[in-house]
Amino acid sequence: MKKLIHLIVVLLFVAALISACGGKPQEPAQPAEPQKPAEPAQQEKPAEAAKPQFAVYALNSEPLTSWDPAIEFSNGIHLHNNMYEQLVRYEPLEKKVKPLLAESYTVSEDGLTWTFKIRQGVKFQNGDPLTAEDVKYSIDRTMQIGAGASYIWSAVENITVKDPQTVEFKLSYQTPLDLVASTGYAAFIYSKKCVNENNEWIEEAKGCGTGPYMLKSAKWGDEVIVEKFADYWGGWADKHFSTVVFKKVAEPATRRQMIETGEATVAVELPYTDVDILKNNPNVAVSVDPSFQNLIGMFNTKKPPLDNVKVRQALAYAFPYQEVIDTVIGGYGRQSYGMVPYGLWGWSDKLPQYKTNIDKAKELLAEAGMADGGFKLLLTYTAGNEAEKSAAELYKAELAKLNIELEIRGMPWDSQWELAKSTDLAARQDIFVMYWWPDLPSPYSFLFSTFHSEEEPLFNLAYYSNPEFDSLIDQANQLTATDFAKAESMFVEAQKILLEDAASLFIYDRQDIWVTVGNLRGFKFNPAYPTVVFFHDLYLE
Amino acid sequence: MRWLSDFIKTLQPTIREWRLSFYLLNRNWLQRVALIVIALLVLIAIFAPLISPYPSHAISATNPKDKLLPPSSRYLFGTDELGRDLFSRVIFGTRISLQTALIAVGLALLIGVPLGAIAGGLGGAADEIIMRITDIFLSFPPLLLAIAISAFLGPSLQNAMLAIAVSWWPWYTRIIRGQAVSIRERQFVRAARAIGTPTFRIIFSHILPNTMAPVIVQASMDIGGVILTIAALSFLGLGAQPPTPEWGLLISTSRTYFLNAWWYSTFPGIAIFVTVLVFNLIGDGVREVLDPRTRKF
Repeated sequence: MKKLIHLIVVLLFVAALISACGGKPQEPAQPAEPQKPAEPAQQEKPAEAAKPQFAVYALNSEPLTSWDPAIEFSNGIHLHNNMYEQLVRYEPLEKKVKPLLAESYTVSEDGLTWTFKIRQGVKFQNGDPLTAEDVKYSIDRTMQIGAGASYIWSAVENITVKDPQTVEFKLSYQTPLDLVASTGYAAFIYSKKCVNENNEWIEEAKGCGTGPYMLKSAKWGDEVIVEKFADYWGGWADKHFSTVVFKKVAEPATRRQMIETGEATVAVELPYTDVDILKNNPNVAVSVDPSFQNLIGMFNTKKPPLDNVKVRQALAYAFPYQEVIDTVIGGYGRQSYGMVPYGLWGWSDKLPQYKTNIDKAKELLAEAGMADGGFKLLLTYTAGNEAEKSAAELYKAELAKLNIELEIRGMPWDSQWELAKSTDLAARQDIFVMYWWPDLPSPYSFLFSTFHSEEEPLFNLAYYSNPEFDSLIDQANQLTATDFAKAESMFVEAQKILLEDAASLFIYDRQDIWVTVGNLRGFKFNPAYPTVVFFHDLYLE
Repeated sequence: MRWLSDFIKTLQPTIREWRLSFYLLNRNWLQRVALIVIALLVLIAIFAPLISPYPSHAISATNPKDKLLPPSSRYLFGTDELGRDLFSRVIFGTRISLQTALIAVGLALLIGVPLGAIAGGLGGAADEIIMRITDIFLSFPPLLLAIAISAFLGPSLQNAMLAIAVSWWPWYTRIIRGQAVSIRERQFVRAARAIGTPTFRIIFSHILPNTMAPVIVQASMDIGGVILTIAALSFLGLGAQPPTPEWGLLISTSRTYFLNAWWYSTFPGIAIFVTVLVFNLIGDGVREVLDPRTRKF
């Protein structure tokens, strides 16, 4: 054992020395943790780099958590959206729903009957033609399993096949079904052949989707390789990528080096300090796009002292918004107006914003009878997320000025979430920091899971309960399909209530930074499908 | 006051022994350097608030306008991602590392030594039970066991210390037990037993004092290992929590920035390296001096 310790000491020192030689991109890559880097990919590289139709997507975590497109509600979004397709696709920046597997759709006067015309000549990867039956089967099965994001279909009463190319959805209440059908999770159309008699997905089932890429091979938790489906209805050109590798590369420094050497085509989640340097590298392209991800810090509205609205408002005034945006995310984001992120409908700069103001915070604390502070708060964040950690540290420094002690605890997501749902109410955190992103491109997705009253806490980790707010967003959601403008103004109104109640810190709406090789063309990010790269649109010049 | 002079008289051989050991230890230049460095580290730990130029940076203050600056006369070791002075943070880290290592080893000794003495002194079923329990603990890789325990208790520096103590004590139990078994059969212990001294008195005042030398060696060598383990736990997010300036946590955070800010991981890394090295050197020295076979005059 002593030998081992000596070895570790030496390794640490070597790592320290090597990091000292950093800053020069041409240095051979030596990642900090020897067990993680992509050995095989590095060996393949010289042979593969010559072929332009080979793409590697360097991800920060596992490529997927479930093969079943009805169940997957996590990382698999970027993989499944290249293998499967929805009826329609939403373009949030143009606020348009575009046809995909459905050529067109109509909605009845009362908003309760939606009819989709299925595209002619679409084939599944196993060669079968796509029909209205498959659409009915897929959505029925997804609803029946009831896992993941399947609740998006909760308004659907029944689905009927009118003719081989027409399918009709009957709803029990009004809901924007076109948005539902465009969702990046749980809205995929797939073939019956990949499901066994127990309604279980056959592991790594191949040829089940209509998407441009089909599964070639996979190493669970590490990488997935897909190759082109030759009969894809969208067609193929020579320049398209014929093979795409989705690869987990945990260390941000390694992801950066893979982009610099051309080993990876696209990389995500690089530190902001790296981005400014990469911008000056001619072999690398950096694009900054709005994302629907925002950082929030939910206040525990049921536990003293934060059950007092004045104290919550004081804490909202104490947060160093601009400092966090400038320091933690390098200015790649903007302070939130309420819960709905910039770029999504329901966002409004008419909403009030809390601006950092320590004097105002002191006043409010005095009104609450706690002029001298003197209490302790527990903040939890997801361990490993540097942005959340740094934001918490900056907040701690501000709260110290109010004589409030902030304990910062980084926990693995599961433990952080378990603690928030703990039956021991006193043990729960005071401030829950997390990123939120949409399943459905609608403000309802941002407001319902997070602040609608819940019997048992799931994602309403502010434990917020306000019947006025609940009914406002429920009504707004139902109005979406028939009276969009009214719905939007109601969603804005609902957020005003949240802000007055200071149910949460609304910190910033983040921009996504995509780092790609310099000669990649056709890259366009769609914030309704976070972390998804539609590889069929891309090619190298 | 007669009892006091009596007491000093009985202590005299021990003091002489310690002074001799220290003299022998000090004679080897490598160990002398190590001793000096350890003394320096202890001084740094005690006087951290006086030495560090920005003591507030080690507690909660932030200074974002100076983020990630390279080393300069103003910031000797550069600054971190929130503009805090790394020199101050590394100095305060010395305090944390030494403190936690001493407490963790102390706790492990507190559990391990009495258990070992009981096992060796009593023999029979008690011995069997205690030693099989230590076998169970020893069958886990120590870092893995510490990770499991601190993940279970929840991440904090205190829990990390507990976790290390819990995974470390069996080593001491095993050493003490081995010694105690041989001492138990010596004449003076038999004599004590013959005049009717209670068993526990025999174990704790006759056997235990004579088993301490190898444990002292082991404990002094372990300090380095424990510092490293605490750093490893903090690196994994299971030990110190931000903004505590713990070395392992500093290195863990610095991974994100290390391609642009070499100083961030380098200085905490050197601090760990030097500290663990000198403790291991001293441990080796103490072993040489206390072991009659390697002891040279």
